Amino acid sequence: MKKRSLFFGAVAASCAVGVSLPAPVRAAVSDDDFNSLKQMVQQLGDKVQKLEQVHQQDQQSHQQDQQKIQQLQQQLDQTQQVATNAVQKAEAASQAPPAQAVPSGPAARHNFQLVGDAETEFGRIQGQKSAFAMADFAPIFLYRANDDILFEAGFDFTLSNGSGPTANTSSGTAYNFDLSFATVDYALNDYMTAVAGNMLLPLGTYTERSAGWLNKFPDNPLPRGLLPSNGIGAQLRGAIPVGNNGQMLTYAVYGANGPSSMDGTGNSSQLDLGGNVGILNNSLYGGMTTFDNLGNLHSNPSGGGRIGWFYPLKAHYDLELGVSGQTGEWNDLGNNWSALVFDASLHLSPYLEVKGEYINTWVDTTDLGTIRPNGWWTQAGYKLSGLNLDLPMINNVELVGRYDRTDDVLFGAKAQRYTAGFVYYFTNTLLLEGDYEWLHNTGSNAAQIPNNEMLFQLSYGF
Amino acid sequence: MPIMKLLTLTVKRRLRTVLGLVVVATAISAVTVALTAGESAKPPTKAVKKTVKKKKLTGSELYAINCNRCHPERYPTEWTPSQWKTVMLHMRVRANLPAKQAKEILKYLQEDAGN
Repeated sequence: MKKRSLFFGAVAASCAVGVSLPAPVRAAVSDDDFNSLKQMVQQLGDKVQKLEQVHQQDQQSHQQDQQKIQQLQQQLDQTQQVATNAVQKAEAASQAPPAQAVPSGPAARHNFQLVGDAETEFGRIQGQKSAFAMADFAPIFLYRANDDILFEAGFDFTLSNGSGPTANTSSGTAYNFDLSFATVDYALNDYMTAVAGNMLLPLGTYTERSAGWLNKFPDNPLPRGLLPSNGIGAQLRGAIPVGNNGQMLTYAVYGANGPSSMDGTGNSSQLDLGGNVGILNNSLYGGMTTFDNLGNLHSNPSGGGRIGWFYPLKAHYDLELGVSGQTGEWNDLGNNWSALVFDASLHLSPYLEVKGEYINTWVDTTDLGTIRPNGWWTQAGYKLSGLNLDLPMINNVELVGRYDRTDDVLFGAKAQRYTAGFVYYFTNTLLLEGDYEWLHNTGSNAAQIPNNEMLFQLSYGF
Repeated sequence: MPIMKLLTLTVKRRLRTVLGLVVVATAISAVTVALTAGESAKPPTKAVKKTVKKKKLTGSELYAINCNRCHPERYPTEWTPSQWKTVMLHMRVRANLPAKQAKEILKYLQEDAGN
């Protein structure tokens, strides 16, 4: 529009100039001036044509834009219609009664959880060939019924090297399946929990803290073989806080079937620390084997307990002391089996840990009188990350050492062992344990126990 | 069997029995204290509140004190809040944790729990 106005303005100005000029002036216009003026008029004409073309293009694009606007308007109308329909449907649905009643109340209280550990072991015993010696899978199933009731069951699947069919060979595998524990736990109040079932026995603390990824060594301390690890019975346990720094007094008191006799006699070689579950199925009546005898191999269950004191100075600086014991008959001849365990654990930083146990047992026997299998062990670990070395491999290493000894009177063997090793932490729960063990045996049956050995164990806790 | 030896054996047996009874009695005493602790754990009176200002340990502090002494650290993100609830009930029993401490630790773990 502006360009066209300019053009008409110019033409009008020219006409006005021509009309307004006096005759003498017109006569005075030379041909050159006329020609230049003519050329200028032609140029202006060209410009007018170009502007008209541009104007036509603008009009076309304007029409296209108008069409697009109309299309968008239609789409918007459709969308609004759909939204309106949806709102109407939602309102109708909200007014209609539900097909099924929606359950109300808190979110689900039940929960099932799988934890546990798995290990594989490589070993070389002095004078023998090296081999992968064992694979172990130990899942723990947890089922929380509500805030106070928990069922937990720990299994242990182990595949290890077996004995061969002849004396000079060792071939095949041995498969072992154990129910390590299976209990129902019921929190009676803030300070006491009732436990019933196949329990880990709180004789010392090792049994409850000896999963493959916890104990820092591929094998157990020797004197732990003098104690039963679990028993069927019932237990009350808990803790009473003392002060405000996390200090507490812990306790456990239990009754369990306890150790038993393998054949009913009181001979020392027939002590069965594994005990039994209270039901015999091999009783002979009139020459017939019966399976309905609910008696036990001893008439009375064992009783035991532990008292512990935990004193934290601050995080990673603490001391725990405990004393525990168990006593009861182990056969029908009135012979007793008793145990007394002292345990201690000390942390002096996030890097240094020292712990150990002293174990003494008394076994009344028919053939040997009262014997006293006993032993003790202590171990220490230091995480090299405490040295603040700028070496990532080193910072994942914990050096460990252990001394343990046992006087296993039952089998006529005394042993003491020195162990030095390491733990390499790939992650917080995946670790490689490696150690070398120097074993010194004395006693009548010492030769039956293997000597020095090297062990590696890959452990994973989940 | 000579009389002296028999007497010695009898005395030893009795000593063991006494020792065993002492352990069990101590444990039972602790149980009794625990049973009555619920009543004695009522909120303190105002006078006591004024004189004693208790510093309550946080969940993260209790976690650092109790958990790492038996096993390597487990990260809060490893389990969901509901799974932590189950694991903590298991650990409350296994590690003999007082309920209030266990709840504080649970709260700390659930704050940054995984999905």
